[in-house]
Amino acid sequence: MADVELPETPLLDELEKGPWPSFIKEIKRAAIEQEKAMKAGKKIKLPGAAKGLLKVLELAYEEKRTHWKHGGIVSVIGYGGGVIGRYCDLEDKVPEVWHFHTMRINMPAGWFYQTKALRAICDAWEKWGSGLTNFHGSTGDIILLGTRTEYLQPMTNALAYLDKLYGSPAPFDIGGSGSDLRTPSACMGPALCEFACYDTLKACYEFTMRYQNELHRPMWPYKFKIKCSGCPNDCVAAKARSDFAIIGTWKDEIQIDQEAVREYAKVIDIEKQVVKKCPTGAISWDGKELKIDNRECIRCMHCINVMPKALKPGKERGATILIGGKAPFVDGAIIGWVAVPFIPADELIEKCCEMLEAIWEWWDEEGKFRERVGELIWRKGMDEFLKVIGQKADVRMVYAPRNNPFIFWRELQE
Amino acid sequence: MTEEINKEELKQKVLEHLAKKPWQVRDLAKVLRVKKRELDKIVQELINEGKAAYWSSGSTTYVTTKEKLEEMEKKRSGT
Repeated sequence: MADVELPETPLLDELEKGPWPSFIKEIKRAAIEQEKAMKAGKKIKLPGAAKGLLKVLELAYEEKRTHWKHGGIVSVIGYGGGVIGRYCDLEDKVPEVWHFHTMRINMPAGWFYQTKALRAICDAWEKWGSGLTNFHGSTGDIILLGTRTEYLQPMTNALAYLDKLYGSPAPFDIGGSGSDLRTPSACMGPALCEFACYDTLKACYEFTMRYQNELHRPMWPYKFKIKCSGCPNDCVAAKARSDFAIIGTWKDEIQIDQEAVREYAKVIDIEKQVVKKCPTGAISWDGKELKIDNRECIRCMHCINVMPKALKPGKERGATILIGGKAPFVDGAIIGWVAVPFIPADELIEKCCEMLEAIWEWWDEEGKFRERVGELIWRKGMDEFLKVIGQKADVRMVYAPRNNPFIFWRELQE
Repeated sequence: MTEEINKEELKQKVLEHLAKKPWQVRDLAKVLRVKKRELDKIVQELINEGKAAYWSSGSTTYVTTKEKLEEMEKKRSGT
């Protein structure tokens, strides 16, 4: 650290104190690495970008105001999303970060990388950008922070040929931003998790490949997010953070290995930690045998999470589709509503695609500017939405779980 | 043949509007009285031909001509 001179940042240094990870520490590391790379003769297009960022941040803390403005260039050839324009209003004082555009890169389904791929992305970004990354943004994309307008296209080209130019196992593409389909995301699914009720990785890949036009060209009223969770644990927070949540579930009974339950009984208090914690009181334990009244099970996953070796989701697996979830920063968060209670795993992708296309057509036609699909359903009514996706009302389509079921008395109205 | 002529005419009209200011496709569809879906395709063709481009206000994506985009970009980055 000693041979690289960093700007004086007394206020930012406060953010390095304490046991938690610090983004300031990481920006400083990036500044040092960038300088070392330059000394090693590497071609770097934005020298001093990380140092410049430190200067702008320190000034922002000093003056208690931001120096960033956003908008402007959003694209590379043919694309309308994936780049978020950022400019700094201190072009005379800190020219290194005058342009500081963000690039969103489509991550692999389930966030599985080979280290070769990560190195290749970082090498390309070290050349064409600031070298600063964020793994991962809230939608799940790889976020590359800070480059100039003229380097957006070369960086995109580098990603498209990352295998040939930088030795990555596969090329990469930019992801979604603006009023388009945002990069679909999925939990690690069957690749690492025995609770997965369908192949989340395959579903995510299929949606990404099939809807390239929707992903790259922002033509809708607002953003649309698809997230795939393999089981009701919902590790990608699909029901809270996506307009179209696909959450794995099962139709039959939880599989119980009684021998394994008795093994668990030696190390945990099953009555206290499992039976009493069941939200619907569906479980009983007599010291020898665990019984579950599956009609009462609401798929909270607690018992399965506590005793994963003894309990497993049922054999008849598939997914529930929830619609209209969103999680904005300020207010207006909505949890997704059940749109389809169960689709068998082997029919899931095709059924979802049919539904997605019908929803998009309706929303594109009826949606107001910056109106998410969930808000449109509020405005037009669940009744109309169900017609769009060809579903009949079902008691499981609850607005607030176990509180406000939608009941349509159409026959009586007519 | 007639359809082709109409399409070319529409493309030309779209370009004329885009040259004046950046547009959201849905608003432009209302002004030109065409289906948004149809206009989406035309706009995409213009973008692929290099005659139009996307531009963002920061929160909203608009479509404009290549020339207008460069002009706005220069203005925004302060050159």
